[in-house]
Amino acid sequence: MLAKDLVAASSKPLVLSILADGESYGYEIIQKVRELSGGHIEWSDGMLYPVLHRLERDGLIDSEWKEADTGRERKYYFLSSDGRKALKTERQQWLAVHNTLSRLWKIKPVSI
Amino acid sequence: MAGRSQHVEPIMENQTRFNLNAALENWRQELAGQANLTAEVRRELETHLRDAIAELCQRGLNEEESFGLARRRVGQPEQLAEEFVKADPAAVWRERVFWMATGALAALFLLTTTTPLITIISYCFPSAGKIVDELTLSLMLWVLQILGITFLIVRGNMNLQSSLLASFFKDRFRFAIMTISVLLIAKTFCATIMLWVYVASRNVHGFNGGPSAFIGNYVFASLVFELVPVAILIWLLPTQNRKTPKRA
Repeated sequence: MLAKDLVAASSKPLVLSILADGESYGYEIIQKVRELSGGHIEWSDGMLYPVLHRLERDGLIDSEWKEADTGRERKYYFLSSDGRKALKTERQQWLAVHNTLSRLWKIKPVSI
Repeated sequence: MAGRSQHVEPIMENQTRFNLNAALENWRQELAGQANLTAEVRRELETHLRDAIAELCQRGLNEEESFGLARRRVGQPEQLAEEFVKADPAAVWRERVFWMATGALAALFLLTTTTPLITIISYCFPSAGKIVDELTLSLMLWVLQILGITFLIVRGNMNLQSSLLASFFKDRFRFAIMTISVLLIAKTFCATIMLWVYVASRNVHGFNGGPSAFIGNYVFASLVFELVPVAILIWLLPTQNRKTPKRA
């Protein structure tokens, strides 16, 4: 399980990256993170929404209420052009951390 | 057939012991008790809870178990509210100011449209003016209208979510165009009626200059008040109609 501060710090790049693949809603985002992390990153359900709303206020993502296939309405989020730029920066920074640690741990670094 | 219905009965009894809709309603009330959760947030959390329940049911849990687990996962209302305040402390106030401005706009609009109505009434029934004066009458009618609308909203007879009103608030540009045109048309109409009554009753103190100057002055003077809440609402509304994104 990830430490609390690391969960908080990584929520932004994770949400932005998931939305870069296409629009999604809160429940689906949590599921995706759980799956992709192999269960190592377990977000509490209530914690994601404040993050989404903050990103929306910062103009990195937009939202829209839409009817899902089941007939129920859901609030979908999608990346804005500012969000795409922010994701680029996040990517560079996280890979810089990743590469530093990789070199220290003698794992092959990736190209940024 | 008779044998079958007898067999079904005990199962039905088991199911009625837990009522999902009632449980959801309870939960909704609990959330609504948190002053720091906006209506929009509560609606979003409910869709989440429903998704979670649906998934747990699919995995074989019954409705009661699914609801209990999903509710625990979403979290305690107080804790949720705390998190939301941390993320956006002004959100609740934005929503409150928005509805205050809407109320103020509706109240002002009704007030300025009531006055010409009273002018007509007192013209048609001159004897009415002897019992109560125009100002008192228009204030009374205004209070009645406000009370009537409030009553309808509280009773739930006016559905603000899906009504015509909701389309007004879709985005900033649309709201500005629609509201200003409705206001201008209504004001011009009122001014014309007032002018007609003044001319008919030969009340020359009512206006200076020509008829167009009267209408212009009336529209401008009464618009000034409404422009304040309109400006607040325009400021608080989302900037534009978002383009529908492609699904990946």
